[in-house]
Amino acid sequence: MSITTTTDVAAIEGPARLGLFRSRDFPWVPVLIILTIALVAVFADFLAPHNPEVGSLSARFKPPFWLAGGSMTYPLGTDQLGRDMLSRLIYGARVSMVVGFTAVIFAGVVGTTLGIISGYLGGWVDQIIMRITDAWLALPALTFAIFLAAIVGPSEMNIVIILALVYWTRYARIVRGEVLSLKEREFVRLAVVAGCSKWTIMRKHILPNVVNSAIVLASLMLGVVIVAEASLSFLGVGVPPPKPAWGLMLSDGKQGLMVGYWWLTVLPGLCIMLMVLSTNLLGDWLRVKLDPQLRQL
Amino acid sequence: MRQFVLKRFGYSLLSLFLLSVTIFFFVRITGDPATLLTEPGASEADIAAIHHRFGLDRPLVVQYVLFIASLLRGDLGQSFYYQTPVMELYWSRLPNSLLLAAVAMTFSLIIGIPSGIIAAVRVGSVWDSLGKVFGLLGLSLPSFFIGMLMILFFSVYLGWLPSSGSGTALHVIMPAFALGWYFAAAHMRMTRSSMLEVLGSEYIKLARLKGLPQSLVIAKHAFKNALIPVLTLAGINLVLMINVAVIVETVFAWPGIGRLLYEGISFRDFPVVQGIVILGGTMIIGVNLLVDIVYAVIDPRIRLEA
Amino acid sequence: MMQTIGRPPAEPFRIHRRALLALSAAGLTGALPHRTQAASPGQVTYAVHISLAASWLDPGQTSGLITPFLLLYALHDALVKPMPGTAYGAGLAESWTASEDGLTYDFVLRSNALFHNGDPVTADDVKFSFERYHGANYADLQGRVASIETPDPRHVRFRLKQPWPDFLTFYGGATGAGWIVPRKHIEAVGEEAFKKAPVGAGPYKFVSFNPGVELVLEAFEQYWQKPPSVKRIVMKVIPDEGTRLAALKSGEVDIAYSVRGELAEELRKTPGLKLEAVAVQGTFAVYFPEQWTPSSPWHDIRIRRAVNFAIDHQGINQALTQGYSHVTGSGVIPDMFEFYWQPPKPEYNPDKARSLLAEAGRPNGFDAGFYYCDSSYSNIGEAVVNNLREVGINVRLRPIERAGFVKAWGEKQYKNLIQIGPGASGNAATRMESLVVKGGQFVYGSYPDIDELFPQQAVELDHAKREAILHRMQQLVYEKALYAPIWQLAFLNGVGPRVGTSSFGRIPGFPYTAPYEDITLKSA
Repeated sequence: MSITTTTDVAAIEGPARLGLFRSRDFPWVPVLIILTIALVAVFADFLAPHNPEVGSLSARFKPPFWLAGGSMTYPLGTDQLGRDMLSRLIYGARVSMVVGFTAVIFAGVVGTTLGIISGYLGGWVDQIIMRITDAWLALPALTFAIFLAAIVGPSEMNIVIILALVYWTRYARIVRGEVLSLKEREFVRLAVVAGCSKWTIMRKHILPNVVNSAIVLASLMLGVVIVAEASLSFLGVGVPPPKPAWGLMLSDGKQGLMVGYWWLTVLPGLCIMLMVLSTNLLGDWLRVKLDPQLRQL
Repeated sequence: MRQFVLKRFGYSLLSLFLLSVTIFFFVRITGDPATLLTEPGASEADIAAIHHRFGLDRPLVVQYVLFIASLLRGDLGQSFYYQTPVMELYWSRLPNSLLLAAVAMTFSLIIGIPSGIIAAVRVGSVWDSLGKVFGLLGLSLPSFFIGMLMILFFSVYLGWLPSSGSGTALHVIMPAFALGWYFAAAHMRMTRSSMLEVLGSEYIKLARLKGLPQSLVIAKHAFKNALIPVLTLAGINLVLMINVAVIVETVFAWPGIGRLLYEGISFRDFPVVQGIVILGGTMIIGVNLLVDIVYAVIDPRIRLEA
Repeated sequence: MMQTIGRPPAEPFRIHRRALLALSAAGLTGALPHRTQAASPGQVTYAVHISLAASWLDPGQTSGLITPFLLLYALHDALVKPMPGTAYGAGLAESWTASEDGLTYDFVLRSNALFHNGDPVTADDVKFSFERYHGANYADLQGRVASIETPDPRHVRFRLKQPWPDFLTFYGGATGAGWIVPRKHIEAVGEEAFKKAPVGAGPYKFVSFNPGVELVLEAFEQYWQKPPSVKRIVMKVIPDEGTRLAALKSGEVDIAYSVRGELAEELRKTPGLKLEAVAVQGTFAVYFPEQWTPSSPWHDIRIRRAVNFAIDHQGINQALTQGYSHVTGSGVIPDMFEFYWQPPKPEYNPDKARSLLAEAGRPNGFDAGFYYCDSSYSNIGEAVVNNLREVGINVRLRPIERAGFVKAWGEKQYKNLIQIGPGASGNAATRMESLVVKGGQFVYGSYPDIDELFPQQAVELDHAKREAILHRMQQLVYEKALYAPIWQLAFLNGVGPRVGTSSFGRIPGFPYTAPYEDITLKSA
């Protein structure tokens, strides 16, 4: 119920955004965690002690080094094929981040674009896009993903596409809502009167103002997407083995959970949690900073 | 107003039509059910016989027309795998799915709302942090993980609860918990932020100035207003819940619609997949239509703009 | 909705709604430290790994998969069927003879064989069942049978158009044509009602079926062999492995099908539970679809041999199936099949693999593309790919969902390496037909010297001579390294403490518990 004026909304661009970094309550810890994970992902080749995809059957199910039977050769233990957990977690950062970020960005780009077009142009374009969105949403997300995987087969790229296709509608709806109210704003009306073309308006005036919502939504969706990837792997249609994605490791290890090999699931689970935690905290903070009116996200 | 309703209704039908066409053709691209009902190496004659039995050897358009014709009569066809009418299968499983969703939703509200309120009222304190942690745990742990942990703990170690299936109240506890966990966290977050919003509003400040005790302020004024967005979210989430239930249904062998659909896809059981998607889609589109109409009744601008 | 005879169906919730809400609101019911669901005496409960299809209750529709026989052995009976110790066990037929020329088969039915509704099993029913059969291979069967005569209620005579040495294999084992259903009953109630509530001549009667959830059966006291000792059988569908094991551990089920990998290890270590493994007729091998293409690396037999030496058969066997799988060295024919030829035992020698690769001009290995497999068996695939990469053959695993895999495999869309796992019933000849010989559904190429032997054995009535031909064919397959064999899969199951005899492994190659009439519970 707080009110923001036209100028507030239009002004949070350019230099003002950079000023955010200097705020008192900048969430250093989450950002550092995210940066660390990103760095680990980038430098995986140098950090990982073993090959994450090849293991030796004689070294299966070794526990982490602080337990009996563990050793520093495999500091965090090994999995069912004798592959080093630490290396898999490190490379898994790469896979999970790539899959997660790419899917979220794809979904964001598609959803935001369609949301803007739909909201601004209105009329039959709006109706068609909304009908498609309706029909799309009526298909259950997870089973829609299974569907697609059944048709095109699972691969890293396909999972990204599937997740993007499943989640774009979230962006579209929210962005469209934003655009509907933005349309009535003074600065937009002025631009119309000034004779700007529809596309220019959408690009120069609408887009910068919905980007904030999109970014906040993206930060919230990242966690959801990574967990969705885990669920898809559980159902057998996620990132294909032997690629180490955290979600896949989680579902691979679930049998081990039953028999006491807790590190197979708890470790990747912790990584997922750290990632989700950080992106959500960052998203929360961004939401407050960029536009308090975005609380409904 | 009438024109608005008719227009909306027409659009809904259009959505449904789009959905039916999409699912119909989509499903046929995913593969051939005959390959799953026969061992690799089956002869041409066997495969052809199965195609004929299921009417798959007719031209696509003919199949679609027949499908729509029987759909309008309320007949969703017969499952290839179970040889039972899809409607029958659906209705036999629907109560289970609804039960699971209802219990899970109840649980998520019972846990989510109070903890959200406490976190908001005691903002910045230990309780708030605990609440945040709980919120994040909910979002970051997949339901199958929680499910397996629970089975391990409560069925295998303690023997208190049955590990799978349905039939008694004991059977529904764990699946509902695993399913509702994520939503409890989501509702908690929403309640908290909504409460904070309301608590910071002019209206509440006034109430405080008037001298009303804190608890009364919360109970009477803040709570009711804060609840609206939460319940709206809960309504949206109910649909989502039914859709993601498939994972919990698989882990707990809960006989619901989610698993029926998943199996339908795995077995390329076209009638089952088509039927469930269309029935589910109809419900969702129907609910959307209702919501649109209600909003239009409340806010005239919407119906004029449309 | 269920069709029931006898017991009422289990409802989704029995407890009054308010109590339900109260219970769930209170969260966990902390004060209930009791064992869940005491098992009823005289009942055996199964945790089944796949959804039970309605068509499996009807022998007229068997598909060529082995899974329908899970239920057929319980509900129905056949003239001749695989039984302990023999592929041709006497079922409803107490004896049979084949004529010298192989054109006539005479069966004598038992006098005491009854259907569940009390009607006797007659020759008329046998003829009806054959003509009614429309499952796998029906066109073939019906095409080869010239006529069926029923001179009296206990005698049936099949006349074939040409001699067919495999007639009994198909009639009795591989299809449902020889599993007898009651004609009078079906004609009275109609096909639809019969499919909902099947009546057969097997040791168990149908009680109720909740599709995809649960099947309930009751002992048929007048079963010709003997009344089953277990009075009631309940089969619950539990698709998740971990959950199946949990149900077994907590006592909710007595038998759990398909418990693999580390869960099987856990099973072994749990007191009171037994791990019972059956080597089934599913053989796994790595197929080289490009071996007939001169430009492909797989054309070089040394590289194919290298793959053979690179696979750590016993290591994978121990890891995935607790050592119960049979490492026979035969890629596509299981050792219990008729006309099986035992190849030399496979050897795991990664150094030899590498030297073969070097010989073939690839001392540093090579990028070998994709390794396609059915995703339900991707655990095997992962292990094999692991081995191959260790010697430098860099393949990438591509697990494909079952339906998609079978389709693309049959349409010859795959290259590089394919992991195959054929499991159809039959004998060495039938496997050769679909997997090795020209014209077979999954044959990407063939060798003329093997091809020309195939039609010879198809008409050879002398068993010994036929065997010699089929052995020669298998030997050629081995010499040419057409496949790199992995193993003959062991199906691992868990059996709880209440069960006396589970009947696992009594019928060679059959993965499930049969004969059902022999299952016993330990006296309490």
